[in-house]
Amino acid sequence: MLIVEAAHANAGASGQNAGSLHFQIERRFLEQGEAKAAEAAAITGLSRMAVDDWRGLEQALGADLHVHMHGGLMVAETADEVAMLERKAARERAAGLSAELVDGAELRRIAPYLSERVIAANHMADEGHADPRAVTPAFVAAARAAGAVLAERTRVTAIARRAGGFAVTLAGAGAGTVQADQLLIAAGVWSAGVGALANVHLPLFPVALQMNVTERVAPFLPHLIQHVGRRLSMKQAHAGNVLIGGGWPSRMAAGDGRFDLSRRPELLAPSLAGNLAVATAVLPHVGGLNLIRSWTGTTAITADQYPLVGAVPCAPGLFVAAGGSAFTLGPTFARLIAAQMAGGGAAAEAKAALAIAAPARFDHLNSFMGG
Amino acid sequence: MRIAGTERGAPFTLFVDGEEMAAFAGETIATAMLADGRAAMRRDRSGAPRGLFCNMGTCSECLVTLRGDGGARRVRACLTPAAPGLRVETGPAA
Repeated sequence: MLIVEAAHANAGASGQNAGSLHFQIERRFLEQGEAKAAEAAAITGLSRMAVDDWRGLEQALGADLHVHMHGGLMVAETADEVAMLERKAARERAAGLSAELVDGAELRRIAPYLSERVIAANHMADEGHADPRAVTPAFVAAARAAGAVLAERTRVTAIARRAGGFAVTLAGAGAGTVQADQLLIAAGVWSAGVGALANVHLPLFPVALQMNVTERVAPFLPHLIQHVGRRLSMKQAHAGNVLIGGGWPSRMAAGDGRFDLSRRPELLAPSLAGNLAVATAVLPHVGGLNLIRSWTGTTAITADQYPLVGAVPCAPGLFVAAGGSAFTLGPTFARLIAAQMAGGGAAAEAKAALAIAAPARFDHLNSFMGG
Repeated sequence: MRIAGTERGAPFTLFVDGEEMAAFAGETIATAMLADGRAAMRRDRSGAPRGLFCNMGTCSECLVTLRGDGGARRVRACLTPAAPGLRVETGPAA
């Protein structure tokens, strides 16, 4: 197996995300009405697998990834938000994920650090966080140990479909042409561009976010904190820094009539202020800490917000794994897509597990692409 | 390095880790500490010394603790003016 990386491993979203392990149904699926929320419950099947994958990942990769799974709280400040939590927890329980609504004295006991404004929360015991700076290098080391070759500073410049496979032209440090029976495009926000080289539409929309980190302080926050009604994701990293994000936008560069993914997105002051306002409203202690860094990163979403993971039907042998949630669900995507690509007995099961993310749902976009 | 002939402001005393240290009006805490030969402004997780890197408020390598009657707060030494009687600490954060 050859892994082709345009920059260096972990340079993109894999290393820029803030490392949340979030298994509750995401807020972005809850803010679009009940029908979407009901439909999105299907993604809990992948979340359930991801819990087990993360529990075993340090052992599987033989590395310390600073995996902390001490529970997560999705908090509510208003009666309407509490009602959203109740409906969400019912859906999660029906799908086999154990989320419980906690309030009053029980909530204060679990999370004494929360502001009085927080009146209830959904608690999920398996949530937490891991260190993105450790996870990708550990995967790289494991892949190399298994015989894979990593070509860094190498770009794919052409993909020609051949009978039974592909001829892939590479430029940069690993320049040359390689033959491949199967191709997996897992290039994050750049995946659509790589897909274009194979003459397929991979309908991914780039989105730029920003994240923040405070100075290192003594441990006080064992949980992952999210908010059901406002954008917030917050946790204390292994080193003691508090990471604050939750989907606040930065601004992508643009030029030539399209977004320019080669330039780093620009930090937006209103996002910074808004994110920190939510953080301190929920967790007042954070207000006394120094912010030491804010940074931007780019991910991709699809039209229905579910990831894009699986076989591309119009191009036999071509697979994709992209479309967001890929830190939390990444190890699960990797395991399932590998099983699908390997074929054999486990392939059908893996394909079924990835059904909600299957590229087939967008294959109509490729009906005029001519092979 | 100090440029020859540079005049420092009016002298006063502050405290770094309990020791008296001379500082001069118009200087930041970082400037006064460096002039006194104190490059270590905080400790990393392993206890190793860390100090001023960017000197413009960006890197946060120079975070020190200011101990006051109302408690402690963390400040960037490179942005914080030295003042008479300040109590600066370079040990682990609270």
